[in-house]
Amino acid sequence: MSLSRRNFIKSTALLGGGIAIGFNLTGCSKSPPFPNMSSTALQPNAFLQVTAEGDVILQLHKSEMGQGVFTGLTTLAAEELNMDPAQIIVQHAEFHPDFRDPEFYVMITGGSSSVRLSFVSIREAAATLAAILKSAAAQQLNLPESSLSVVDGKVVHASGDILFADIVDTARTIPSPEAVTLTAPQDFKYIGYYNQRLDARAKVTGSSQFGIDVQYPEALTAVLIRSPDFGGRAKSFDAIAALAKSGVRTVLDVDGAVAVVADTYWQARQAASAVTIEWEKGPLSGVSSDTLRNERHTLLETESGKNVEEKGEQSAASGDEVTALYNVPYLAHATMEPMNALAVVSPESIEIWTGNQSPDIALSAIADATGYRREQIRIHNQMLGGGFGRRILSDYLVEAARVAQLSGFPIKVVWSREDDMRGDFYRPNSSVKMSATIDNNVVTSLQAKVAAPSIMGQFVGAVSNTLMPQWIPDGLHNKLAGLAASSDPAATEGLVENDYQFPYMRTDYIMQETSIPIGYWRSVGHSQNAFFMESFIDELAARTGQDPLQFRLNHLPADSRRRKVIEEAAARADWGKPEAGQFQGIAVHESFHTMVAQVVSVSIEGKKIKVHKVVCVVECGIAVNPDIVSAQMEGGIVFALTAALKGDITVVDGAVQQSNFHNYEMLRMNETPEIEVHIMPSAESPTGVGEPGVPPLAPALANAVFAATGQRLRQLPLKLS
Amino acid sequence: MAELSFTLNGQAQTLTVDSGTPLLWVLREQLAMTGTKFGCGMGLCGACTVHLDGSPIRSCSYPVEFVDGRNITTIEGLASADDVLHPVQQAWLEMSVPQCGYCQSGQIMSAVALLETNQTPSDADIDAAMSGNICRCGTYPRVRKAIHRAAELSVQYYQPVDKESEAAS
Repeated sequence: MSLSRRNFIKSTALLGGGIAIGFNLTGCSKSPPFPNMSSTALQPNAFLQVTAEGDVILQLHKSEMGQGVFTGLTTLAAEELNMDPAQIIVQHAEFHPDFRDPEFYVMITGGSSSVRLSFVSIREAAATLAAILKSAAAQQLNLPESSLSVVDGKVVHASGDILFADIVDTARTIPSPEAVTLTAPQDFKYIGYYNQRLDARAKVTGSSQFGIDVQYPEALTAVLIRSPDFGGRAKSFDAIAALAKSGVRTVLDVDGAVAVVADTYWQARQAASAVTIEWEKGPLSGVSSDTLRNERHTLLETESGKNVEEKGEQSAASGDEVTALYNVPYLAHATMEPMNALAVVSPESIEIWTGNQSPDIALSAIADATGYRREQIRIHNQMLGGGFGRRILSDYLVEAARVAQLSGFPIKVVWSREDDMRGDFYRPNSSVKMSATIDNNVVTSLQAKVAAPSIMGQFVGAVSNTLMPQWIPDGLHNKLAGLAASSDPAATEGLVENDYQFPYMRTDYIMQETSIPIGYWRSVGHSQNAFFMESFIDELAARTGQDPLQFRLNHLPADSRRRKVIEEAAARADWGKPEAGQFQGIAVHESFHTMVAQVVSVSIEGKKIKVHKVVCVVECGIAVNPDIVSAQMEGGIVFALTAALKGDITVVDGAVQQSNFHNYEMLRMNETPEIEVHIMPSAESPTGVGEPGVPPLAPALANAVFAATGQRLRQLPLKLS
Repeated sequence: MAELSFTLNGQAQTLTVDSGTPLLWVLREQLAMTGTKFGCGMGLCGACTVHLDGSPIRSCSYPVEFVDGRNITTIEGLASADDVLHPVQQAWLEMSVPQCGYCQSGQIMSAVALLETNQTPSDADIDAAMSGNICRCGTYPRVRKAIHRAAELSVQYYQPVDKESEAAS
């Protein structure tokens, strides 16, 4: 067993300020070779290597989709290597088991977890590399280790610098140390201070490579014509006219869709409109978002659902009952880069170039669809032109692999915006009955009853082959999906596990069986549940005649993190003293271990809601790159404003009605408010930042609209009547 | 099929293309200039913005035969050299504007076009010039700051040119 094959996952140290870290050996390794392995490089772990030329390369095991992991994870490595993050070469990692996430058990980018879960592991990997380099220099030059230090990509000694390139061969013979000491937080040089983005320069010169930009010799472009309604299939098609068009190579049935393959995208797209197809309707034919919503309202009245959380005694819920019915619609991710993937299939292998959030899940999905083994498939990840959860799914990679397999050509599948808008895995629609009891102007209970489809129910069936051996029968995958669905934490997250104090608190969940495809959308269940909870809290403040901030403080423990953050936001925003003609709303929400409070200032012009300013306070532990934390809050707020003011995917007869940005609008520059972000100082380990800026915005905005108009808007997008 | 010639980032190009093909796809596929992005195909999002004789156009909806004999500038043609960025690109770096980065070529091309006609844009001018460019990551507040910063940088950037022209006159 090689000492270099170490599993870092089970390291237990929290924040390694001068603490020696223990490694867990994983026994004789069945681990495949590290990505980018080279016989001349030093590579003590999957994350880092030093080439024969002395270059330090980090394998980026998380997908960069704008959230900043390219910089953040590199900064973690740079800290322990004591070198400028810009000196490290960053490569998108191919799949390797050591890149599997310790909480999700797959290699995935999601749940705002990249920095949180890499904070120790990447620093350990880097500290190990630094220790080996130091030992190598000591051994090769016969110097005491104590006289050496690793600085700026060199080993430094009083007698002169030692280049990494000169000691790599020696270093490769040196075993990894049993333990390493991580830099103490008070000695951080880059963590908490490094404020640049390593991917910015390529992104302002146009040279950054996204999946859609990948070129491959002789590759053809395919566009797919998919069933207008979900689950429908092409029964037959006539491609005679399409095949006669310029550049068209072939038109073929691909698993129920029709693929048009041509030399260029435009040729394929033009030809696609000349194909006539007879469709077989899918199982959602006749289903509309209106009927689904009515069904949820009925479920809320007729079903008791599954109890997810109960605190206190039901008998404490005395007084008059107040109820309110809240609704949110389906939402599309609408990443700016439409889905795409390039696939090259040979009898022995499949190679895919694309931007994806979970190459691990995709490997299994492609294996399943093509009959190849996972080990025969390679995925070369690229920059993602937005992810927001959409690119966790593998559907577009599978399409490319299948078209390439069936046509025999190297194939780039490119979706149109219309394909993207109508073929998404949407943020679930959800209806919630919020209720409370009020006794002598005291709120004695707070209850939420959720009716929504289950993301987990759809997702687990689709991905359980990644987590379990492939020989497990489909029936078991489906059964697992069913088990997961009825207790899907995503449906109620944010309603449960908060520290508001009322004598009785309860949350129940009723799963809606029928839905179009749904998926993980930036902040997932929090995206709607914060709206329900923080709007209803505001309703209770109004009903009991209390200031919205004071009401929250009255129901939070003295040491509550929620309390500290909302108090800070109120202070920063001059809560209670809005600009003339403006009105304020406030909300606070915890998600992905991070607490965010926002104060929104609005004015109303006719029926138009104008958002002037958002003050945002975030507590996310140590901010590894404070400027990226601010950027994520700003971006989360804009993303949430689009959802709160505009986002509405509607379904008629099993098909999405929206198609492009004219009928699924995005917030634009002229509608963007001033945004002010404050990061609370913290010495705790980092928590999530990619998603937590989203949830508090909609309720803070709705609460401001209530303050301005007296209208309580219980449905997104917000529309004044 | 049509044969046409135009200037792309200062280089003469002669191509044979399918008539009606949008300029975007000719740039991206035939010329492998992938900095200009496909976002919506309907001129709604601005990701495909390039300059035609100095004015911003949406290349996804612009038939390529209309550029015959004219000048196209794309994001790849902005920087005068690899290590000399255009002031707008420089300002974008200073403000750390990009997140995913996919829309940024279009944002920058729109901003450059704005600053070429208005060296001191107000917030309202920025709203008017930039509202055709969608950014799903929500970089708008930084785009605004970067345009103001680029306006400052542009004064210095163009000054030597002005002095030369004064000296010449």
